[in-house]
Order: sequence, then C-alpha cells, then structure tokens
Amino acid sequence: MTNIEVPKELREEAKQHDMYLHPIDKDTYELFFGPQHMATENFSIILKMDGNRIERAIVNPGFLHRGFEKLAEQRPYFTNIALILRICVPESDVPENIYSMAVDEIVGWEVPERAQWIRTVVLEMARMSAWMFWIMGFGNEIGLYTAGQWAAAYRERFMRLFEELTGGRVYHIYTVPGGVRRDIPGDKWLRQLRDTVEYLKGKMKDFDEILFDNYIMFERTEGVGVMDRKFALKHAVTGPNLRATGVPYDVRKDDPYLYYPELEFEVPVLKEGDSLARVLVRRYEMEQDLYILEQLLDMGPPSGPYMVKDARLKALPRFKPPKGDAYAHVESTKGDFGVYVVSDGTHKPYRAHFRGPSQSHGVTVLEELLKGARLADVPVILKTLDNCPPDIDR
Amino acid sequence: MDMNEKKVEEKVENAQPVEETRPELPDTKEGRLVREIVEKAPYAEGSVRRERRVEFRVPAERIHEFLELASEKFEMLMQISTVDWLKEKEFELVYQLWSVSEGIHAFVRTRIPRDDAKLPTVMDIWPVAETYEREAHEFFGIIFEGNPRLGPFILEPREYEKHPLRKDFNTIGYVKVIYGEDFDRYDESKTNYVI
Repeated sequence: MTNIEVPKELREEAKQHDMYLHPIDKDTYELFFGPQHMATENFSIILKMDGNRIERAIVNPGFLHRGFEKLAEQRPYFTNIALILRICVPESDVPENIYSMAVDEIVGWEVPERAQWIRTVVLEMARMSAWMFWIMGFGNEIGLYTAGQWAAAYRERFMRLFEELTGGRVYHIYTVPGGVRRDIPGDKWLRQLRDTVEYLKGKMKDFDEILFDNYIMFERTEGVGVMDRKFALKHAVTGPNLRATGVPYDVRKDDPYLYYPELEFEVPVLKEGDSLARVLVRRYEMEQDLYILEQLLDMGPPSGPYMVKDARLKALPRFKPPKGDAYAHVESTKGDFGVYVVSDGTHKPYRAHFRGPSQSHGVTVLEELLKGARLADVPVILKTLDNCPPDIDR
Repeated sequence: MDMNEKKVEEKVENAQPVEETRPELPDTKEGRLVREIVEKAPYAEGSVRRERRVEFRVPAERIHEFLELASEKFEMLMQISTVDWLKEKEFELVYQLWSVSEGIHAFVRTRIPRDDAKLPTVMDIWPVAETYEREAHEFFGIIFEGNPRLGPFILEPREYEKHPLRKDFNTIGYVKVIYGEDFDRYDESKTNYVI
C-alpha cells in the first residue's frame, strides 16, 4: 500500500483535536456536549466556553461510522439496498430511492408509471413520518413534551401503513432499481392512508396551539442562530434551512423526479433566517406534504406493472449494469440528499458516494452558528437545523 | 414542410462555426451555459449529458481557477466525490456543483496521480469545501493545500493515515488484525470469509 506522508504540522494540528474537559482559566473551560445529550444524537461537539457563552465549537462526528460506502463496493447492486438505507434513520426511503434512481439512469430503465406513483407516495409518507420524528425531538428539546408525545403517536400510524406495504416499520427495503418490490396491498390500504392524511390534517391545528403558536417556542427560537442568504449558499445549506433564508430552492420543483411534475404544491419561503423561520418553514411544509399525498390519492395508482421487464432481473446477484455514472438527488426533510454512483460494468458498484444534507449544515455551519450562542441555545440550534449525524459519518 | 426545412438549414448554418472549434452543444439552457463557461475557460472540455446535467473536464493545475469562474453560475458545491481508479493509478475528483438560478447540476472532473495526490483547496470559494476535503483526505489521503483542518475527522485516530476507501486497502486483513482470526465472519457454507 502506498502511503502519502502527511506534513508534521498537520499531525500536530490533528493531535490538538484530542481535547479534554479542563479549565483554561477561571471563567473559560472546555465542555463535551454529547453524545450523551439527547439533542445531539450520536454526535458530539467540543465547546470552548466563556461562562455561559460559547467562544468556539468543534464538531466531533464519527460515532456512527460503519463504512457503508466501502461495504457497498463489495456487495451486488440489489443487496446494497438493505445496507445503504441505514444512512438516514428517520427517513430510510430517501437513500433507497436516490440509489435506485441513479442505477435506473445508468442502466437506462424507464420506471413504470405505477412504480413511480408508489415511490412518490412512499417518499411523501417518509417525509411526513420524519416530520413527526422531528417534532418529537424539537418539542422535547424546548420543554414542550406533549407535542412530542403526540407526534410519536401519529408517526406510529405511518409506521403501520409502511408495515403493511413493505413488511418493515423503520427500514423498508422496498424501492429497488427498476421499480418497487411489491404491489400495493389493495384498496383497503389506500383508504387507510387517506384516513391517516385526513386525521393529521385535523391535528395540525392542535400542533399549532401547543407548539407552533406557543409563546415558549417563540421566546426560545426568535433571533437564535441567524444565517443570511449568502452565507447559506456558500455553505451549501439546503432544504428548509435554505428556504428560511429566502431562497426558494426545492429539488422537487427545480430538478423534478418521479410524479412531482404533475403535482401542485407551493414552496414556502421565509426571509429571517433564524431558528423561528426554520421552524415555521417546516410547519408550512407539513401542510404541503399532506396536500401532495391527498392529490396522489385523488389521482389513484396508474395501472400497469410495478417493476420493469428485463431478462437481467431474473438473476439478481449477477445483475450487471453497463459502464457509467449518475448523480441522483431528492428532497428529504433535512435537505438535498444525493448520491453519486459509478459503475465499471461488474456486478458491484465501483463507488457509491452519498451526500447527506447534514454534511453541509452539520459541520461548518453549526460551528459558525454556535459562536457567541448561549449553552441553552445549543439544542435549539441543533434541532432547528435538523442535524442528522449518520449523514456525516455513513 | 418548406418552412421546417428552411429552419433546419438555418440552424445547421448557425451551428457550423461552433462545431469547428467545439463538440456540438445543443441549443438549450444547458448548452448555452456550457458554451459560456468554456469560452471563458478554453482549457476545459464541456459537454451536456442530459437535461439539467452538464459535465466539465479540467486539468488538475487549473481546477481552482476553473471553479472560481464556475462559482459565478453555480452557487453551491454539493459534494466532492473521489473515485480511486487503481489500474490507471489515478484519483478522479468530481466536484458536484448545483446552480440554484439555472437549475443545472454540473460534474467537474479532474484527475491526479495516486502517488502524488495534491490539489489546492477551494475553501476560499465555498467554505463548505472544508468538510468535503477533510473527508477526502481521511479516506483517500489526498492533500488539499491550504486547508488548515486536515486530520482525523470521522475515523478513529488509529485508522488515520490508513485511507480505507482506497481500492488497495486490505479490508479483511484489517478486520483480522483488529478483531482477531477467530472473529466469525464466515458465510453459511463456512468456506468464504466475508466482510
């Protein structure tokens, strides 16, 4: 193995990252925030504190590194689905879908209409259940526990629907290159989904009263962790965090995929760029997602097969796409989630490189926003950025 | 019919002078964008892959210059993907750019030799590149000159400088060293050691 010599200064710098909690002088000290703190989720930040103010923050990821990209290079294309979906825990359908879309593009498959419809429904359901997961975390961090408990219960409704559709509750292993693995269970499932959408539409008012229109929430988030439009673009912040700074960028509108070109929905944009704006953008998006699901149900699933017809699919472990590469991305609740897949013509991908949205807003952006914040603001900033550590570690 | 033929003839006449110097670019927003950038940077090769996907090939010496130019159109650097081409003894770096204003994704490809993997940092253009470069440095051993934070990032300190995502990294050997020979990672037939 050829090793490159790393310069001495870099090695010294690397050693300095290994910090310990100790007082520097009377008022200044270093503090490990996480991974034991609930807000950080398998992630830690080393804070250099001056009293209650943060002077400097160093993000310290790596607790969740499981080498997915290396492992994906050693497994056949279809086996990889069961692996890579673990990159994003709250919405595991996103990695499945982008990987399948990228392989579809390399092979040149036109995914059947019915499969596209099902994939869109699955993605929107994943978004809704991820929103519920986010309310759970955010509500708990600012002390409004009731909203969190409700959201956990509502997420359960989507989990049951997923279980009936795919057989799995959290990890679904459902979307595969070429289509989806199983058909919709029947009209009863569609009725149940419609009931759930109707039910949640009614519940949004309750969430407003207890969380989004709540004095405590406003006090905790207003003016905290402000970033402007230019800063957000330079740091490749995407998703609701970018839209809260006034940039109307949504992958579903700007790089449309699956059924989204045929759907009508708005992209909510706010200009303030603080934590409150980020929360409110998410609130409006939940409404839009319910509206999208309703439209999809009104259209009904198109008839036809749910998987492409290809002789190569008969022997899945030996499935070989042609040489090539593709980049596919979708809009997840955290932002723009992308993957770059390179095929060298063998039955394993040569490289699959994931771009999680938290890679951009969970490291440098977080470090910048934490500068000058109070210790109590750390969970608020973390949760309103919706940082997802597995995106960074993979 | 006549009208259509005339239109086609006109298009061909207009396209001819461009075709002499460059490979043909379609008259779409993607084609216009590529033409505009390649005119300013004649050292780069540009092409349109499909709707909303364009591609540039840039020599490694001029990558910083090119990305600075491209950043006027492409506001966001989404990722720096590294591909290890072992047979060619080269690393391919793909800078994934996204233009918010145009809605176009660009692959900017450059190749560097494996045994002297050095590139200038693009932190001054997009500060987010710091994270991507730290990742590429840790997993592939590429040195980005000017990035002050290259060092252990995601991996454990003992894994630093092993560069596990390189194709010649001995994964099974490393697992055996860390977890011992008895670590049961055999497949169902108990013949193949699997990772």
